Amino acid sequence: MKLFTRDPNTEKPYIDYSLIFIVLFLLGFGLIMVYSTSSYEASMSSIVNNDAAYYLKKQAVATAVGIFMMIIISFIPYKIWSRFGVIAYATSVVLVMLVLTPLGYEANGARRWLRVGISIQPAEIAKLAMIIFLAALVYKMGNKINTPKGFGIVLASPLLICILVWRITENMSSAIIIFGICLVMLFIATPGYKRFAIILVAGVALGALMLFAITKMADSSTFGFRGQRVLAWIDPEAYASGKGFQTLQALYAIGSGGIFGKGLGQSIQKQGFLPEAQNDMIFSIICEELGLFGGICIILLFVLLLWRMMIIANNAKDLFGAMIVVGVMGHIAIQVVLNVAVVTNTIPNTGISLPFISYGGSSIVFLLIEIGLVLNVAKSIRF
Amino acid sequence: MKNEKRVKKVRRIHVENGLNKDMQEKLVILFVIVLLAFAGLTVRLFLITRDNGEQYKKQVLSQQKYESTTIPFKRGEILDCKGNKLATSEKVYNLIIDAKVMLDKEESLNETMTALQTCFPFLNMSELRAYVNDNPSSQYYVVSKQLTYDQVSPFMEMDNNDEEYPNIAGVWFEEEYKRVYPNNELACDVIGFTGKDNVGNYGLEQYYNDVLNGINGREYGYLNKEETLERTTIPATDGYNIVTTLDANIQQIIEKYLYQFNEENKNTAREGNGANNLGCIIMDVDSGEILGMASYPNFNLNDTRDINKLIGSKKVNEKGMIDYDAVVLTEANINEELSNDDEVYRNLNYLWRNFCISTTYEPGSTYKPFTVACGLESGKLTGQEYYTCNGSLQVATHDIKCHNYKKGGCGTLSVKQTIENSCNVSLMLMGRQIGADTFLDYQNTYNFGLKTNVDLYGEARTDSLVFGHDTMGETELATSTFGQGFNVTMIQMITGYCSLINGGYYYEPHVVSKITASDGSVVKNITPRVLKQTISAKTSAEIVDFCIGVVEEGTGKSARPAGYMIGGKTGTAETVPRDRTNYVLSFMGFAPADNPQIAIYVVVDRPNAWSQDQVSFATKLTRSILTEVLPYMNIYMTEELTDKEVEELEALNITIKRADVEEEPSEPEDTEEKPEVDEEGNIDARGGDVTSSTPLTEEEMQSDDVTTAPLTGTVLNMETGEAVKENDDEVIY
Repeated sequence: MKLFTRDPNTEKPYIDYSLIFIVLFLLGFGLIMVYSTSSYEASMSSIVNNDAAYYLKKQAVATAVGIFMMIIISFIPYKIWSRFGVIAYATSVVLVMLVLTPLGYEANGARRWLRVGISIQPAEIAKLAMIIFLAALVYKMGNKINTPKGFGIVLASPLLICILVWRITENMSSAIIIFGICLVMLFIATPGYKRFAIILVAGVALGALMLFAITKMADSSTFGFRGQRVLAWIDPEAYASGKGFQTLQALYAIGSGGIFGKGLGQSIQKQGFLPEAQNDMIFSIICEELGLFGGICIILLFVLLLWRMMIIANNAKDLFGAMIVVGVMGHIAIQVVLNVAVVTNTIPNTGISLPFISYGGSSIVFLLIEIGLVLNVAKSIRF
Repeated sequence: MKNEKRVKKVRRIHVENGLNKDMQEKLVILFVIVLLAFAGLTVRLFLITRDNGEQYKKQVLSQQKYESTTIPFKRGEILDCKGNKLATSEKVYNLIIDAKVMLDKEESLNETMTALQTCFPFLNMSELRAYVNDNPSSQYYVVSKQLTYDQVSPFMEMDNNDEEYPNIAGVWFEEEYKRVYPNNELACDVIGFTGKDNVGNYGLEQYYNDVLNGINGREYGYLNKEETLERTTIPATDGYNIVTTLDANIQQIIEKYLYQFNEENKNTAREGNGANNLGCIIMDVDSGEILGMASYPNFNLNDTRDINKLIGSKKVNEKGMIDYDAVVLTEANINEELSNDDEVYRNLNYLWRNFCISTTYEPGSTYKPFTVACGLESGKLTGQEYYTCNGSLQVATHDIKCHNYKKGGCGTLSVKQTIENSCNVSLMLMGRQIGADTFLDYQNTYNFGLKTNVDLYGEARTDSLVFGHDTMGETELATSTFGQGFNVTMIQMITGYCSLINGGYYYEPHVVSKITASDGSVVKNITPRVLKQTISAKTSAEIVDFCIGVVEEGTGKSARPAGYMIGGKTGTAETVPRDRTNYVLSFMGFAPADNPQIAIYVVVDRPNAWSQDQVSFATKLTRSILTEVLPYMNIYMTEELTDKEVEELEALNITIKRADVEEEPSEPEDTEEKPEVDEEGNIDARGGDVTSSTPLTEEEMQSDDVTTAPLTGTVLNMETGEAVKENDDEVIY
């Protein structure tokens, strides 16, 4: 494991420039793609006063706020946050509950946002909160985590917030991501593979069972819109005008892009066929405009990003810092994998955004806060 | 041992030392798992591109909207000679609902519906709401058609006002043109009407359909070389306008009196209209330009399918003809009689026809000037002949009677007197002198049996309705001399008659004088066209003189309008079956007598009267029309006015205009529109009158001939004056 350690003679605080560069590159690229994907629809929409750059401007503001937050956070010694584990957890529970109050508001048919001067998604806060909470928990438990009881506690702790996010904000994908982050952190923190293999097998079995039930059910409405999404996943062409529409249009976009794509800004699909292409389906437009080449480049950038995080985690000064980085790494990895999987119709359609690139203010700000945490952990590495 | 092993395997966690070896190993494994996932997704991306790339490429292109939208052209206008609009096309708007867009935003539906309700109170809002709710994906639903700009502009303003009404969405207006006839019934037969898709029916609308129509524009998308969609607009080309020779004022005067005639005579002897048909044409003698052409019953061009306009008419049979004993349509029986669409349309089609060019009939005595002109021109008559009428003449095996049969005949008459008295026996005798061949040659020269090619749709063919050399026997020749036995159309008669009056020039009759583009530039000028010379100027002068005699001394006295002298010929034609009850009355004349400018032909087809054979039906109608038309045309009065006539003119608000009274030059006046014109205007108009009405010096010379030529005629006239005076009307057989 020498490969992952640094020269002990260095005394300066470590700054991971490659990580910063990758993140900034992704942000810049994201802004270009948000403009490319949204300008046509925005210019046609009287709701945004036909301003082609409407989404770009909002995203640029969110990005600026996020970078500012990232810099601030990267200067605050991360150790402080270990005291805020429980508070973070409690805060996110309260925020999710607040969606039910008049402060919450609905958009695109789902009540997921809080309006307090600016609009924020509590689910995005919950992701950050869970990373801090679990890192602090693991840090405080120490060797106790090796006992079955300790394992159980860590595994059970995210359940409450997951259920709240799922049920209250009707945002199953966020709930799955939160639970996924916890599993990743738990996987690193506890020894052995058997338990995770069991969880994995159980999950796959449950999924298969559901799939079987949905496909055999005469009345597809029994499982609500999720059931239909599963059916549309199996045969998108059969649901081309309904639940399969978005998926199919995304596939058309990817397929029609070819190896090198139609050229930046040249997408046809974004012109009304793939609605709100700047959101979760942005990767398909990237593939349409920049081709397979562009899509793979973006995936490689995320691989590099994750690799840098792995190195930081491996060299973190203490377990708390390491677990934070592992959590962030898990968060980004899960979202990228699931997003690309949805876009390519590898899994049923569910709303997951592509980190740093998809349009969405809350998402970008909290992701950059997480990067700020990672940078601070990296800074504390001493050799 | 077992415990020790386990402890050995699980490394201790040192929270302040970062990840232990176990954890680092697991992190690498996690990273590898993520790498594998990415690899899998990359393979998936590759497979989609490789396996479905081409198919999806086509799919993407096939989803593009290439469908083009049509930009409608504006059909050209129809104008009268003074630029008044007879037919025009107005832009109208179809209200279209896009439910999908309307439901896109929550606030849109209510705000849009409220706005619609405010601006279009006639809409059924609950129905509309139900439609939008039931068809949320509908993008094209026509709610209301052909709204005017005034109707839609309040909504357009609200829609554009984003500050007060930011959420109006899903409503748009589709533009199209609607044909509008500002004067409703006026000149309906001549103009015709336009149905769906700019297809003209009848009249000018059909005859000039291609000229009036433009070319639709298009807005369409196509894929360029880079396979991106481009949109292109080709603007519409508007149709050409046509300027007609009709004068809306003259037209109005004609129609006013046709209507008045109907009002006065309807429901007299039977239920129904004042006559089966009334027709009138006024033509410029020296150009063939039609100044006015109308018939009654008429219809409303803006509501052509209004069956109430059929009330009073006789029901049309299955061949589209009116039977002798046809039922009269009344308010009470119309729904019953016209029980199906076929019957309704058969009757409407009959109504929409232009009586003046589409209906054929036996002209009767108005044909006599043609016979005399034929005799004089061919040299078969010298003009110095005298004829004796004993009341009847035996032709082959029949005795054909004159209208004076009961009084023992017309006596001995000069050629002029035969016309003035409309003596059938004399005409039959002339026919014998002329002979069938010459008679038919001249009939052909006068264009009977041929189309006049007037630029109106629906001119009747008459080639099978006149006699030929092989079909004309003694009897046929005899009856043909006084206009019975063969059929003509009104337009044939008046066009031929103009040539008898104007020195023999047969002009092609026409209604359109100019075609202009939508920007006002002239596309084509249609100038008068002389087709042939029917008779010599000398013969023409004689016919003019004879016809003046008809009004001065003969059967046409009652046609003379107050203050003017005119020439003309009356006609009383019996229709088939010959049971002496049904007649077509007519008067064909010209005015003014000393310098003919216009010809007028009035036909009263079977008046609603106990005794139909009164030619005064036609002459009085002519008189009424000319009484207003001649002053309107600034033609000066030449005749003395009786007190009664002065009263009559005053009642009509007509200023008395005389060329000879210099101290009191009354102003030329457009009967209604311009109440007063100063003296200078009067002088100008007078000068203009002379030059404009007779532009050719040659013709002026000919008209001079008219006044001086037949001295003998006047002498003979006085001798037989009494016989003429006794009959205002004439009877055939």
